[in-house]
Amino acid sequence: MKDVLTLLKPRFLSFKNRGFSKTRKGRGLRVLLLSTIGLAFWGGTFVILYRVLTYFQRMESFGDILAYKLLSMALITFFSLLIFSSILTSLSKLYLSKDLALVHSMPVSRGKIFLARWMESTLDSSWMVLIFSLPLFLSYGIVYKTGVFYYTMVGLNLFPFCLMASSISVLAVMLVALFLPAGRVRGVFVLLGLLLLLLLVIVFRLIRPEKFVNPESLTPFVFYLRTMDSSHSSWLPTTWFFDILRASLTGAAKDAFFHSALSWSFAISLIFITTWASGVVYFKGLSKAQVVPRRLFTPRRFKSPMEGFPFRFLPGPVRAFTTKEIKAFLRDQTQWSQIFLVVALIVIYLYNFSVLPLGQSSIRIAYLQNVLSFLNIALAAFVLAAVSARFVFPAVSQEGEAFWIVRSSPISIRTFLWIKFFVYFLPLLILSEVLIVVTNLLLHVTPFMMVLSVLTIFFMVPGIVSMGLGLGAIYPDFQAENPAQSVTSLGGLIYMTLSVGFILAVIALEAGPVYSVFMSGIRRVGPKGFQWLWLVGSFTVVLILCLMALMIPMRLGEKKIMQSLSS
Amino acid sequence: MIQLTNLTKWFGDVAAVHQLTLSISEGEIFGFIGPNGAGKTTTLRMMGGVLSPTEGSVIIDGIPMGEKPEEAKRKIGYIPDRPFLYEKLTGTEFLRFTADLYGIEDGLFREKSEELLKRFSLWDWANELIESYSHGMKQRLIISAALLHDPRVIVVDEPMVGLDPAGIRMVKDLFRNLSRGGTTIFMSTHTLAVAEDLCHRIGIIHKGHLIATGTIEELMHQARVQEGDLEEVFLILTEEKQTL
Repeated sequence: MKDVLTLLKPRFLSFKNRGFSKTRKGRGLRVLLLSTIGLAFWGGTFVILYRVLTYFQRMESFGDILAYKLLSMALITFFSLLIFSSILTSLSKLYLSKDLALVHSMPVSRGKIFLARWMESTLDSSWMVLIFSLPLFLSYGIVYKTGVFYYTMVGLNLFPFCLMASSISVLAVMLVALFLPAGRVRGVFVLLGLLLLLLLVIVFRLIRPEKFVNPESLTPFVFYLRTMDSSHSSWLPTTWFFDILRASLTGAAKDAFFHSALSWSFAISLIFITTWASGVVYFKGLSKAQVVPRRLFTPRRFKSPMEGFPFRFLPGPVRAFTTKEIKAFLRDQTQWSQIFLVVALIVIYLYNFSVLPLGQSSIRIAYLQNVLSFLNIALAAFVLAAVSARFVFPAVSQEGEAFWIVRSSPISIRTFLWIKFFVYFLPLLILSEVLIVVTNLLLHVTPFMMVLSVLTIFFMVPGIVSMGLGLGAIYPDFQAENPAQSVTSLGGLIYMTLSVGFILAVIALEAGPVYSVFMSGIRRVGPKGFQWLWLVGSFTVVLILCLMALMIPMRLGEKKIMQSLSS
Repeated sequence: MIQLTNLTKWFGDVAAVHQLTLSISEGEIFGFIGPNGAGKTTTLRMMGGVLSPTEGSVIIDGIPMGEKPEEAKRKIGYIPDRPFLYEKLTGTEFLRFTADLYGIEDGLFREKSEELLKRFSLWDWANELIESYSHGMKQRLIISAALLHDPRVIVVDEPMVGLDPAGIRMVKDLFRNLSRGGTTIFMSTHTLAVAEDLCHRIGIIHKGHLIATGTIEELMHQARVQEGDLEEVFLILTEEKQTL
């Protein structure tokens, strides 16, 4: 055990020493911001669950059924998240970490290395799910007025719950790593996991849960729940945990202990099985992971689609960076999953607009359609900001340790940044305009609102992209293993705050005069002189704001990179 | 061809390079040696335009790096000590990327890249992703990319690290040929035998100061050594400086 603890020491020491790191600047603020967001999310989850459960409690005949169904679904979700998170973490810890060569060259048995890595992986993959599951358990405890027994059972049984997820994941990873190189395994798992998640989200959205607010449509749903009441599989770890919780909530201590014993005994058995399996297969998979797979499709020498139209007509440096960005992007499997997420986000976004119950509203349709169209500009801009945070903000950091190539090349940092800007600007502009036009068509807005939306987005996109790129250059992280993580850095948070501020400012500036002109149209009186003045004044300020959002971040980003040449 | 004047770089209150003045002529191979942390890489990074000096100037082929960095960099082939590259590109694609940056036209690119890839034994790997290359292969690819635009000056940091004996021999021959053709080579190295074998002149840097410069014979004279090799001279000179 001493060796295992020694192997875990670098992790604890790194955590302890993080205060001495050169990158500590701004960490306090970042931790504060993230903690605030985390706490708000935690508190929000608790409040919503508490209110939902209290509401359920008022339904005498089926309130408990609904509450238990919710608990069971939540446990299945937590367990799936734990499995997914464990797969990615264990794959990285056991097969892909950079320090594996060093650790395996030391006089420690492979079994001990495996144990240390597995413990680390279990901890890393579980802590966040655990923390965010607490509001659920707390709300049930409070609503069902339970005592110490319930909370003790929750605390006692969370450990085997996480351990079971971790063991199952590690076993699956070790098995697959025997056949596929670890680098590919990660890509495959990430893709499958995300596809599953997307499918769930889309199916959930297509069910249109808002229908359940309507009591008439609730009756068959409740009937369905009644029939489903006792349909849990007794082979699932989530069922054991669910049974423990249900028994603890109702004070059935005997039942709770029985299911707890089931849970613990299975978790302990899994420890032995996983340890045994690791002895047989772990090192074989690790050896396979060292081999970089050759490319599945080898292109013809000197021939690439990027050399054709329109790339042939671009100036040299622009072509160089454009093709490099596109190729690196398409070949990075972690990016594909992000693309799927973006596509799903857009599909759901568009679907929501297609099912809006405009006809059922008591507000005048023309008015509502146009108000929604106006809000739609803001929503589309938020979607754009979120996509930019993921793809544009890390664009400079993505150069990584190879940034010396840019520094030593015969192009200026300004040119480099503007090339990057256009690489991202064009696709994002198309994406935003498509979003805006399609949603406006679904809303049947007036031509005035259509033109206004299209133009507003056209002027906002450069600002949002420039802010992403500029702030990414001000707060770069060239050492990051995964630049996508930089979204949660201080710079990423500042970017999100600034872009939200920018979007709100533009919308606020346009809303007043547009509302005034629009109402004049509804009253069938033409806009008056001051209304025109207000309109022109506001739109001029919007233009200046967009121009500032475009120029200032790029300038500051350039200045920051130039300063970094001195250090 | 290369003119360094009072080149100084401060990192906080530490002078990594202090008042370095050097002049290297066309076709010369200049070796830059010194203990770890002496300021070799910092000097080379300033010459390559990767780092800006606190004071002083770098002039490449008459072009000041401070005032016209893009123009000056066009004259240089910079080879860093650690081969960080765009891992998701293939070898050919990386060379194409470099060619585009330096404005090399397509026909010339094909001809030159084929020649370089073959010379550096990378031809069979040209269409594999760089992430699958070994350290030495990456190093050879960086050297190929640096030579693609026929630079007037090559600034190279530890050129032999990661290369196998055949690779070392090939790079040495290549540098000799380039030097004969008028290319100036400024290289830092820890491999004193390489410096001794290859360089026309050698500069020894210690704690940011250039403590000696000259041919091997001149350095032996400065170190008051009758017989011996560069290692002996290096140790005596850096030792002397240490005790002063």
